[in-house]
Amino acid sequence: MNLIQRLSRTPEGLVGILFLAILVIVAILAPEISPGDPLAIAAPPLLAPFTDPQFPLGTDRLGRDVLAGLVHGTRTSLTVGLAAAIAALALGVLVGLAAGFAGGLIDEVLMRVVDAFQIVPGFLLALAFVSVMGASLPVVVIAIALGAWADPARLTRAQVLSIRERDYVAAARTLGMHPVEIALRQILPNALSPVLALAAIIVAGAILTEAALSFLGLGDPNAVTWGSMIAEGRNVIRSSPWLSVLPGLALVVTVVAVYLVGEGLSKALSGERRAGEVPIGERP
Amino acid sequence: MAFAPSAGPLSRRTLLQAGSALLASTALPTLTRAQSATDAPAGGRLIVAADSEPKNLNPAIVASNGVFFIASKVIEPLAEASFDGKDGLSPRLATSWEGSADGKSVTFKLREGVKWHDGKPFTSSDVAYSALAIWKPLQNLGRLVFANLEAIDTPDDLTAIFRFSKPTPLQLIRNALPVVSSVVPRHIYEGTEIATNPANVNLVGTGPFKFTEYKPGEYYRLTKNEDYWQKGEPKLDEVIFRVLPDRAGAAAALEAEEIQLAAFSAVPLTDLDRISKEKGLKVISKGYEGLTYQLVVEINHRRKELADLKVRQAIAHAIDRKFVVDTVFLGYAAASTGPVPKNAPEFYDSNVPTYAFDTAKANALLDEAGYKKGSDGKRFKLKLRAAPYFNETKQFGDYLRQALVAIGIDAELVNADSAAHQKAVYTDHDFDLAVEPTVFRGDPAISTTILVQSGIPAGVPFSNQGGYANKDLDGIIAKASETIDTQARTELYNQFQTIVATDLPLINVAEWGFITVARDSVINVSNNPRWAVSNWADTALKS
Amino acid sequence: MKRSMKLIRRRALTAIPVLLIVVVMTFLLMENASGDAVDAYLLSIGGGDAKVAATLRQQYGLDQSALARLWLYLTSLARLDLGWSVAFNRPVLSLIIERLPNTLLLMGSATAFAFGLGSALGIIAGARPGSLRDRGLSLLSLILYAIPSFWLGLVFSLVFAVQLRWLPTSGLETIASGKTGLARATDIATHLLLPVGALALIYMALYLRVMRSSMAEIWQLDFVAFAQSKGLSRHRIVWRHVARNALLPLVTMLGLQSAAMLGGSVVIESIFAIPGFGRLAQEAVTGRDAPLLMGIIVVSAVMVIAINLLVDLAYAALDPRVGASEPS
Repeated sequence: MNLIQRLSRTPEGLVGILFLAILVIVAILAPEISPGDPLAIAAPPLLAPFTDPQFPLGTDRLGRDVLAGLVHGTRTSLTVGLAAAIAALALGVLVGLAAGFAGGLIDEVLMRVVDAFQIVPGFLLALAFVSVMGASLPVVVIAIALGAWADPARLTRAQVLSIRERDYVAAARTLGMHPVEIALRQILPNALSPVLALAAIIVAGAILTEAALSFLGLGDPNAVTWGSMIAEGRNVIRSSPWLSVLPGLALVVTVVAVYLVGEGLSKALSGERRAGEVPIGERP
Repeated sequence: MAFAPSAGPLSRRTLLQAGSALLASTALPTLTRAQSATDAPAGGRLIVAADSEPKNLNPAIVASNGVFFIASKVIEPLAEASFDGKDGLSPRLATSWEGSADGKSVTFKLREGVKWHDGKPFTSSDVAYSALAIWKPLQNLGRLVFANLEAIDTPDDLTAIFRFSKPTPLQLIRNALPVVSSVVPRHIYEGTEIATNPANVNLVGTGPFKFTEYKPGEYYRLTKNEDYWQKGEPKLDEVIFRVLPDRAGAAAALEAEEIQLAAFSAVPLTDLDRISKEKGLKVISKGYEGLTYQLVVEINHRRKELADLKVRQAIAHAIDRKFVVDTVFLGYAAASTGPVPKNAPEFYDSNVPTYAFDTAKANALLDEAGYKKGSDGKRFKLKLRAAPYFNETKQFGDYLRQALVAIGIDAELVNADSAAHQKAVYTDHDFDLAVEPTVFRGDPAISTTILVQSGIPAGVPFSNQGGYANKDLDGIIAKASETIDTQARTELYNQFQTIVATDLPLINVAEWGFITVARDSVINVSNNPRWAVSNWADTALKS
Repeated sequence: MKRSMKLIRRRALTAIPVLLIVVVMTFLLMENASGDAVDAYLLSIGGGDAKVAATLRQQYGLDQSALARLWLYLTSLARLDLGWSVAFNRPVLSLIIERLPNTLLLMGSATAFAFGLGSALGIIAGARPGSLRDRGLSLLSLILYAIPSFWLGLVFSLVFAVQLRWLPTSGLETIASGKTGLARATDIATHLLLPVGALALIYMALYLRVMRSSMAEIWQLDFVAFAQSKGLSRHRIVWRHVARNALLPLVTMLGLQSAAMLGGSVVIESIFAIPGFGRLAQEAVTGRDAPLLMGIIVVSAVMVIAINLLVDLAYAALDPRVGASEPS
């Protein structure tokens, strides 16, 4: 794809894509790399790393394989990050498109809702939402998306407003194209690319938010997450620091990789938008 | 903790720390008593970690450990639990108690010369008011214990005669005294809206410490009551409860010498091994014998699979209690055999069916019950809720899920916060298995029989909401509640234990007390079975 | 001045429907919660029976219909009455007033540090875009920004408070110390150093990035080239032309990030036992205390609106080209 080519031509993008590719492969191959349930109690508890070849990174409090946790945690983190970003972008783009295209009262109402979501601290919202709805992966994804869709909505609307006055849209209108068709065929594709640059930021923010929620005990207990590994590890942080250091490192590496891709993406797309206008998402 | 140490590598440490605390708690005077109250140094400020800020701090209304932890220093009960006292009690506001032969009255003689913190004298009318206006109608536990309390006669200022409409066992009243009998001043509560009285936070009592200051989110400050009835006590000038909501905060604050004591396992069990090696800190597992927590798997008998005794037996066999004790509790617990813990020797009966860890047998039982493994190795699916109140209940939930997988039961863990968990289990019955930390409070009738008794309306927390009904068991519970004779009553509770262990309305897994970590300078710690929630009048600081 | 007034008036007007949406949203969320304030209370006191629960529900007004309660809340909010916290049995306003200063102190200092340090480093990086220094700082900021704040907080507390014992582990000040004046201020400062540090470092990374990228952009602009052609010293160009103009987007960031920082402080407050807004919000959620949570969210929202307004006013003052017009 053209975009990926352009992306990999920027140094940030290249490094980011490389890292991310590795992480994605790990996530996809997780059942192959460490088969079985990563939550299974497999060995004596608190085995130190590099002492048992069967458990190269040791075991946790209950005797669960740390490596398996990290590997399967990659899956959870990336899935949550991507799902939340897709949900946020879909909702945001849809609302932004509707607001920008419809204008008038609809625009006014929709934008007030966007305002409302933008001024409520996203993490507070996610925290309340997950506490109240119960912690499961879908709920966590929705909670994160709720705090993240306002930015893409605003950006999409701004794009639509600038594009809808352009010649080709006016042409389509005079040709008698249905407004929805114009919105989807003419405006959306052109408005999308800057919004896409926002995606990486949202993914990174989502991964961090998920970790923070898990850290506060609001994670899905049926899935391994890095945040919950850190939360569990912190009780033994003095005697077995690796239990919280390793998932912490995994988290940082992943988020850095996503940021790098985002950076590359915004450089690659800078032909279409002003460089330096770094979109900044919210993060806990 | 007063448990026989478990086997395994962890037991040595437990052995060293707990000693033969099981024996000590019931019969022998303990070593800590050696430091007599009189020669302990006076003065100083003790800073203690508190992990929660109860919204209502009145122990007469809220008889819970979170409240007692702070309030017991200010407001006193009629009697406190004791390792070596008669009936396991040591007198506080009452000096003696005696039941009538028909079981319909109990006479309390009260202590002389006791003053409320505002200077007014303490009399039998305070006791009568507390019992009739608060304990019986408003208190979470008193509601059961004093259900048949009709009237209280106060022939003089120092005598209170409790009159019951039905025979009420003195054994029960006695065992319940430390928990249900916190006396509050009549002159402050009478004629006011009790539930919203400001004194529910700014406590006024007779205890060794006065309630001086509360800074929400930061600390509670209690200061010495110069007029305390026990001369020479309290030893400390001040007790400060510093609010440290974060679980790991207490250990760090202890090491940094910002606090001197952390009770109720505020220091996570996993950190104790390391902490015990730190200079200047001691790890104490005694002093919780009177408030034993039980790790229980509650069962929703509405599920047809779980209504089958064989399935319940299979689950009981699937749980490796040794693993739970050694790994989840790191040895600071004991395996349970039934609904009464081992350290309640007055009632404990070891002669009940037990369920050894035996996966093969569990699988066989499930096959017998007709729930064969499917092609994916699974028999059926269950919804498992683990109470979020303790690290250990959550960890046991994680473990139980794995233990069930091993016998082909696919359990899905549901993570909910406290309020949601409470509602789901005790009101909506939206669970198949629930991991709960129930409390044994010295007598089965206080908060234990309610866990298996039938006919309790939905919405009552910590009660039988699993839809279990057993007429025989209900009959025994009802009979015991009116049996005056201690021997006969105890026998009824032995039968109760046998039925519960046989029919498995719920599965008792383990029982545990908490751990106190203190700096070496704090003395007279853990010298009674409810130490953390007692008045700390003799606790002192070495300079 | 007149323009500013107009801006303020218009913002205040649009704020009303936005706040209304926020309130209704929060209300609906709590309405759909599993378990209510009474469940939470009964749990905290260790039990109770159905009759008590019913009485309490009546006392808390939970027996009324959701619509009636929402209406009651909105009408009292219109009178600037934030209502009664059922979990704390106190007016919401008094709880908020008690905790707000702590959070403002934490956030304010963190923002000040983050902004100051971030823009300074951003200028260093942006002075020579593409240089080794620039790349190094960029990478550093990227990594810092990827670190979860709770993790950084944990490490800080472990290293500086527990191991080295340079600073207190937690809390806002030495409890019941009786300190006043300067001694108290110093005490609070030492307590806040770690939590502020953890928050500030992460947000510093953000300001650094924005500063350097907007500087990089300004280097491309004509007037810089013009200044260069005039033979002005690089130092002078960096400071007078590039950095000064690049500061504007940074000021906007300040407003945009205020909501994020409020959210981010939740975890930090919990790790460092600071009795602030975040912890209060957590308690409100645990206690299913809808009035309290709504109060907290409304006040945060008002704060965020106010900060953004201030930022826009400052922006208008800094850059006279900017009219009072704004994207809605």
